[in-house]
Amino acid sequence: MILDCLGKRCPLPIIELAKALADKSIGFKLTLLSDDPASQPDLIAWARMTGNSVETSETNTFQITKLAN
Amino acid sequence: MVSITPNFQSEPRLHDAARMALPHIFEVTWPDPSKLGADSKSAALLLNEARETFASHLGIRSDEIHFLGEPNLGFHLGINGLMSGQKRLVYSNIDRMEVFAVAEGHPSKMLEVDLNGQINFSELMKDDVLALQLCNRETGTIQNGRPKSPDLLAGLFVDSTASGTRIKLPANWSTALWDSTSWGGPSGLGVFAVSKSANWSNPLPHLDGRVNPGPASLALIVASALAIDSWVADEKNLAAKIAAINGEIRSYISNNIPDSDLAPGGADHLISASFLYVNAEQLVTKLADKGYPVDSGSACSSVNMQPSHVLAALGVLTQGNIRLTIHHAITFEEVKEFLEVLSQTVGELRDK
Repeated sequence: MILDCLGKRCPLPIIELAKALADKSIGFKLTLLSDDPASQPDLIAWARMTGNSVETSETNTFQITKLAN
Repeated sequence: MVSITPNFQSEPRLHDAARMALPHIFEVTWPDPSKLGADSKSAALLLNEARETFASHLGIRSDEIHFLGEPNLGFHLGINGLMSGQKRLVYSNIDRMEVFAVAEGHPSKMLEVDLNGQINFSELMKDDVLALQLCNRETGTIQNGRPKSPDLLAGLFVDSTASGTRIKLPANWSTALWDSTSWGGPSGLGVFAVSKSANWSNPLPHLDGRVNPGPASLALIVASALAIDSWVADEKNLAAKIAAINGEIRSYISNNIPDSDLAPGGADHLISASFLYVNAEQLVTKLADKGYPVDSGSACSSVNMQPSHVLAALGVLTQGNIRLTIHHAITFEEVKEFLEVLSQTVGELRDK
C-alpha cells in the first residue's frame, strides 16, 4: 500500500498515517510519500512514541511497519 | 503591577525595578558620558555603576564589558573576532541560527548532540575555536560538559543568552554574550564581554579601539542594571517555586495528555512539549485566544515553514509543539488553570 501525502503539511501526513494503520493488523507494511520538512524527524519520533517502525528508503519515501496497536 | 494574564512566552515583562525608575532614568541619561560638564559627569557615574553591577553578577571584570544595542551582533563579534587565520569553528547542532550563519564563512565542524542534548568534546582539536551554548533557549537543555583542555583552544565563545546569570562562565572563556531580557531588563540590549586574556580582534570596520560601533542607550544600560540586581535577588527566593512549577507541568503533561513528548529537561524556567496529531499553529492560536500566549517550535508556526532544528536534533517530535517560559511572576493557580486549558485544547484539536 502506498499512502501519498506529497504536498501535505505537518501534522497531516502523520494523522493520515495513523488513520491508515488504525484497522490494520500487526506486521502490516506501507510506503508513505511525504515531502514535508517535518516528516523525517517526526516519523522517527512517532515510531518511538507509538512503538511502530519507520525506515527512510529514499528521499521523501518512508517504509512503515505496524508493530503496535 | 500590570500583570493581567499569565505570560508563558519567552519575553519577560520589564522588571518593576527598571519600569518604575525609567522616567527618571531618561531624565538623567541624555548627556554623553565621555564629555565634560556636570551632566556628563553624572551620566559617566551612572555608566560606571552599571558596569560594576553587571561585572559582579556575571563574574567578569567591569573593563571586559561592552554594551550592544543589537544583542545578536554579539554572535558575530564574539565568534568572528576569535577566528583570525585559518581557524576551525566547532559548534553544535542545537546552537542558535546566528552561530550557523557565522559558521558559513569559516572551516567548521558541527557536533551532533545526543538525545540529552550533550556534545562530545573529544572531537575538539588544538587551535579550534569553540562556540559553547550554556543553555538552549527553546528546550532549556544545559550543556553539562566542558572542554577537557580549554587552554589549548584558540578561543571559546560562550552563548549565555538563555542562561543569563543562572550558569557561570566556564574557565578560559574568551568572549561571552548575554541578553538583557534574561534578567527582566529591557529588550534591545546585549551585554558582550571580551576576556582580557583573549586573542580577539575586532571583525567590524573600525578606526579606534572601540569594541562595538555603539553607543548603546545609556538609559537601557542603567535600567538593565537595576533589573539584574533585583532579578538575582528574586531568583534566590523564587528558584524553588520555578523548579516545582516545572515539575508540576512535566508530570501533568506526561500523566494526563496522551501521545505527548517532552524535550529532555534542563533549566527549570523552560519546557518544550509536543503533541502528536496536533497542528501547532491552531494550538498556539487557541491558547492565545483563551488568554495563554505561548511560543512554538513547529514548522507550521514558523516563518520559513521549517521545524525547529533544536527539536529535530534532540529527536523530539516537532509537530504540535509549544514552548513555555516560566517567569518569576507565574503562580501555581495560573499554571493549574493553564494545564487544564491545554489538555482540553489538545483534545479538541485531535477530535476535529
